[in-house]
Amino acid sequence: MRTPALLPAPVSKLSPLLAGRAFFIACIAQSLVATVALAGNPGAESPQSLRQLIDTQVRAGWDRENLKGEAQADDATFLRRVYLDLVGTIPTHDEARQFLEDKDAGKRATLVERLLADSRFAQQQATLWDLLLFSRNPPNSEATRKRDGFRQWLTAKFSANVPVDRWVRELLLAEEDGSELFYVQFQNKPEDLTEAFSRIFLGTQLQCARCHDHPNADLEQKDFYGMAGFFVRLVTLPQATEGTGDKQTKRYRIGEKATGEVLFAGNMKELKPGNKGEPVKPKFLGGDPLDEPPPPKDFKEPEVKTGTKSLPKPAFSRKEKLAEWTTAATNPFFARAVVNRTWSQFMGRGIVHPVDNLGAGNQPTLPALLDALAQEFVAHQFDLKWLIREIVNSQTYQLGSSGTARDALPKHFERARIRPLSAEEIMAALQVACGHDPAEKGSDSATPEYFVRYFGTPMNGHGDFQGSLSEHLFLNNSSNVRAFLRRKNGNLADTVLNSQEPWEQRVDRMFLSVLTRLPTGSEREKFVTYLQRDPGPGADPDAVIEEALWVLVNLSEFRFNH
Amino acid sequence: MNGNCRGPEHISRRALLKGALATTAGVAVANWGGLFSSQTIAAEAQKRGKRCILLWMNGGASQIDTFDMKPGRPTGGPFREIKTKVPGYHMCEYLPRMAVIADRLGIIRSMRTQSPDHPEGIYQMHTCYKQSERMPHPELGAMIAKYLGQADADLPSFVRMGPTGNTGSGYLGPRHEPFSIDRNGKLPSFTSPYLLPAREERRNELLLAMEAEAKQASAADVYESHRVAKERAWRLLRAKSLFDTTKEWPSHEPLYGASEFGRGCFLARKLVEAGVPFVEVGQDNYDSHADNFVCHKANMQVLDPAWSGLLIDLERTGQLEDTLVVWMGEVGRTPTINNRAGRDHFIKGWTVVLAGGGIKGGVVYGSTDADGSDVAENPVSEGDLFATIYTTLGINPRVKHFVGTRPVWATPEGSQPVKELLA
Repeated sequence: MRTPALLPAPVSKLSPLLAGRAFFIACIAQSLVATVALAGNPGAESPQSLRQLIDTQVRAGWDRENLKGEAQADDATFLRRVYLDLVGTIPTHDEARQFLEDKDAGKRATLVERLLADSRFAQQQATLWDLLLFSRNPPNSEATRKRDGFRQWLTAKFSANVPVDRWVRELLLAEEDGSELFYVQFQNKPEDLTEAFSRIFLGTQLQCARCHDHPNADLEQKDFYGMAGFFVRLVTLPQATEGTGDKQTKRYRIGEKATGEVLFAGNMKELKPGNKGEPVKPKFLGGDPLDEPPPPKDFKEPEVKTGTKSLPKPAFSRKEKLAEWTTAATNPFFARAVVNRTWSQFMGRGIVHPVDNLGAGNQPTLPALLDALAQEFVAHQFDLKWLIREIVNSQTYQLGSSGTARDALPKHFERARIRPLSAEEIMAALQVACGHDPAEKGSDSATPEYFVRYFGTPMNGHGDFQGSLSEHLFLNNSSNVRAFLRRKNGNLADTVLNSQEPWEQRVDRMFLSVLTRLPTGSEREKFVTYLQRDPGPGADPDAVIEEALWVLVNLSEFRFNH
Repeated sequence: MNGNCRGPEHISRRALLKGALATTAGVAVANWGGLFSSQTIAAEAQKRGKRCILLWMNGGASQIDTFDMKPGRPTGGPFREIKTKVPGYHMCEYLPRMAVIADRLGIIRSMRTQSPDHPEGIYQMHTCYKQSERMPHPELGAMIAKYLGQADADLPSFVRMGPTGNTGSGYLGPRHEPFSIDRNGKLPSFTSPYLLPAREERRNELLLAMEAEAKQASAADVYESHRVAKERAWRLLRAKSLFDTTKEWPSHEPLYGASEFGRGCFLARKLVEAGVPFVEVGQDNYDSHADNFVCHKANMQVLDPAWSGLLIDLERTGQLEDTLVVWMGEVGRTPTINNRAGRDHFIKGWTVVLAGGGIKGGVVYGSTDADGSDVAENPVSEGDLFATIYTTLGINPRVKHFVGTRPVWATPEGSQPVKELLA
């Protein structure tokens, strides 16, 4: 059992009338107090506690809302879900069969451990964070379109399970090889960088305050420009280009000048031409102005010219101060933003939703749980793997997703969410399902670019999935998809055709391979009938198998993680 | 079954209704209000059944050599002006067929815009917002597709051909994405089935039987959205023959002129007749930094029959009243003629032409000064132009959507429709 001291007073006790700046400050003060309490009580943590706390808190939420939770997902559903979430693909036929036949009561937790140790776990987390840091269409695309170096850097962090505060600090310092590309996308655009930084690392929407004081009164324009002051001195310095042709990569370094200020000119709407504004000193969001010594006497800023490859390190680095403040255990935003985002990665929506809007107007559904997640995460030295382990081992994560409910992202986590597979996951899942070697590239005429084009952005601005015409034209008629389905030495179609087993068993194999579950009685019957019928003029048995596999990969069930 | 109330539309509205009941927070109420009004607007606009064809002058056509002539001025250039159906209003000698139907046109000679370069200009003249904001604004075509498209139509609601915009449906989502075809009707990749029809049908039946069973197990809207899109892809291919103009083109060629652009205009007419609410047809290339006059003369000889043919054809098939035809590019061209006999990009006073779809004909709105170096009266911004377009099509120019938590409007704050052009 947990000690009650670990649970802070629920934020919801604060009057909603306190919304605005007062609320904002109250939150900060509260998390500081809570962090102190936690540090004074180290014995309270045990490996089991967080997952239990999650279930207790979520269930309490259902009681308040008078909701009934969905039953636990069956083994097959859990298996496919956790594979996709942790390693970005589905299990093979053999892995699925083994898991489903395993009688061990603790097999789910054992599977989670195995997947957390899988090298694909690091790749999957890196893919997700890379997409978050760059989006599908990053700015400065010439420099950021190809970012193998950045991905390698990031994957190495997840492989070594480097604490999140540490790798984010390194990202913000941008001194390690590969890490500089995050800043490069915002070359000469400190305001754009401020927006992205605040959204990603502070879970806060500052962009409104770029042009006007925020209508909800908790943010002023000066908050925005105060943060932009930390970035205004960064300079992107192109280095020598490496390699030639397709392999060519441009390298960059991030330099920092010792002078330069953000200019603030008031409300954009009332802005008069020619008014460039007044310099604004850097100020931490919700905190103090930066205590900055004046530059040394007679200081002269070195000139940055075309071809400048590096700058001397400034005597006082704003970048370092920002990195330190952001990732400090006492930062009121960072840990909350990371745990909320990680939660939404597995539960479909954040405890605060949308995940990048932790502002005062946007109340968490389970405030005490969010606080506890953030505190425990800090207490566990920002160990992301630990956090993910706790979440996916919770009963909440393992709920079923079917039933009569229609929305895909249940607000009180009373069912599992239903999320579309990413473009990368669809391609990886097709490879595994159809028995193709993921390492074997180019041989089966499936190009990742096509998958990204047709599956890469399936949401509208609200985050709702929308099926698209082009996605289905691609699925229906493209050789990119067909390449996986057609008979090829050693692939699924080939195995099924070579098998001497009765058709029922071969259909079972097809279902387990593609959908990670066995067919229902009527499904089995339909497929057996389909596969046994006369293929008709101009078609051979190979074609019939291919068609049946096409049906499986085109099901809505395959399109989503459910 | 109500075809307009399926899939994603339904989810958002429902989810938000629930949100609004559960909390009194301002954001949820605002969300709810925004969506509620956008639904009503969609229903209203669909009833009116309006359509839009955008003739996109890629590279930016010269206003002085077309609709805002400056005869006798140093900036005037060599082209002569001719009389038009509108008393006192003259246009270029290379637009003779358009001159005859000038009384159908609403001409804005006072566009003053913000983006002088191609990529930014193409973006802004398709979205009415600046590209540098890095908001996922949808193109005009996607907005019209959302509000005037029918959910159960066989055809896509946003079709484009030739050199056009390339922004896409942005925050409106892939449901309203553009469908790009060739001006001769050739369809894009992945529209040719690799199976024989009988075999494909068999395979599809098995899929439908499986989905019917899945539907019993889960009622989630996302699954339905997937199924609906699958059926749209099938229906599109069944309606594929509509894009083929091989048979009708010979009898229409004299009217539209023997050009690919003319053929695209004819196909656009055919598509709007079949219910496609937005079609964009591009013409290359007006970017005449050198030899402006050679370039414009050649382009106008293609444009004049194609555009006038389209308007005449729409009128004689009874569609002009409901079909707005917009003529524009990303920029105008400088009054000054450079030393290569070219004109460069110009945003301080240029021309856009509207016709049909509730636009008052024979109106020449705004003007530029004697040399065309700036707007003299009634400047019109990108937002004003889009507000005019949306208003005449029955779409509220201030309809609100959300990108995450951030509200965003169909046109920027302060945009005003040009009332003088609205019939």
